[in-house]
Amino acid sequence: MDYSYIDKLLERYWQGETSVEEEEMLRTFFRQRELPSRFEPYRRLFAYEDVAASEHLGAEFDERMLRMIEPGEQHVVRARHISVAARLRPFLKAAASVAVVLTIGGAIEHSFRNENAATPDFNYATYKDTYKDPQVAAEKVSSSLRDMSEELQRQQSADSARAIGKDKSVQ
Amino acid sequence: MNAISFREDVLPLKDKIFRLALRITLDRQEAEDIVQDILMRIWDRRESLGEVESIEALSLTMCRNLALDHIKSKEKSNIPLSDAPPTEDREMPPDMLLIRSERLEAVRKLFDSLPVPQREAIQLRDIEGKSYAEIAQITGQSEASVKVNIFRARQYIRKQIEKKENYGL
Repeated sequence: MDYSYIDKLLERYWQGETSVEEEEMLRTFFRQRELPSRFEPYRRLFAYEDVAASEHLGAEFDERMLRMIEPGEQHVVRARHISVAARLRPFLKAAASVAVVLTIGGAIEHSFRNENAATPDFNYATYKDTYKDPQVAAEKVSSSLRDMSEELQRQQSADSARAIGKDKSVQ
Repeated sequence: MNAISFREDVLPLKDKIFRLALRITLDRQEAEDIVQDILMRIWDRRESLGEVESIEALSLTMCRNLALDHIKSKEKSNIPLSDAPPTEDREMPPDMLLIRSERLEAVRKLFDSLPVPQREAIQLRDIEGKSYAEIAQITGQSEASVKVNIFRARQYIRKQIEKKENYGL
């Protein structure tokens, strides 16, 4: 895989020129288990950012706050309803970022490979007609379809006949 | 207008406020007190607050101001350097052992060693994912100076990381 896109993105990150989305893409890239060695030193920066973003206050804090706001009430932490879409959003975002990285990588790889590979011929102009007369062609097609349907019906009835036979033998 | 609910609209802001307060004060207890203070203030002012969406920006602005006040009052109290608790040894309670590896701990120290304007800008950008415009709104600065702060912070962090790598530390 060619990483020049990541190189450019990282350079723009240092310059403060990346968008929030591009920075999320970089963070996704650096979450990979295997990284080319030149990116390895920066892994800990993005890993730390992930950890720092998960820093939080616990349930004890919530209880204390709720006691202050609604004194004397029984505080049961209610479950908040979250729609499936909202719940999946972080995963979709992550998946989208991965897809972008993979697509770019794939596109670069593909463009390199394509130079040597023989291109398949999709030129419809060179296709030859089998039948001159459209009437004959239509008849040929419908007769083939009829043959096929008859064959399928025959098979089906044979199968069910066998099945009945089997049932009898079991009894 | 929908009524503001403490549980649904105010309480969920706690972690973002806490992270910003912690980044500025470098003191967990102080950061927690700031969060409590802000949530109470917002709740008391709920009648006069407009859209729920704007509460987050407002709470982060309040957080920043309180945290900066805290730093200033600490400086004024003139604690001799030798007696001041070193920020390097900011204590991690057992439940915050998320920062396990020493390498991540080293990066945290890098972040915390930045000057305050860079520290708050990088916190809001690289950890909270805020746009330059949002950070400008929260910190009351121009977008240009927010950009400069983030640029300087990233340059410093890059240099330190590459230096450590070259010396094999």
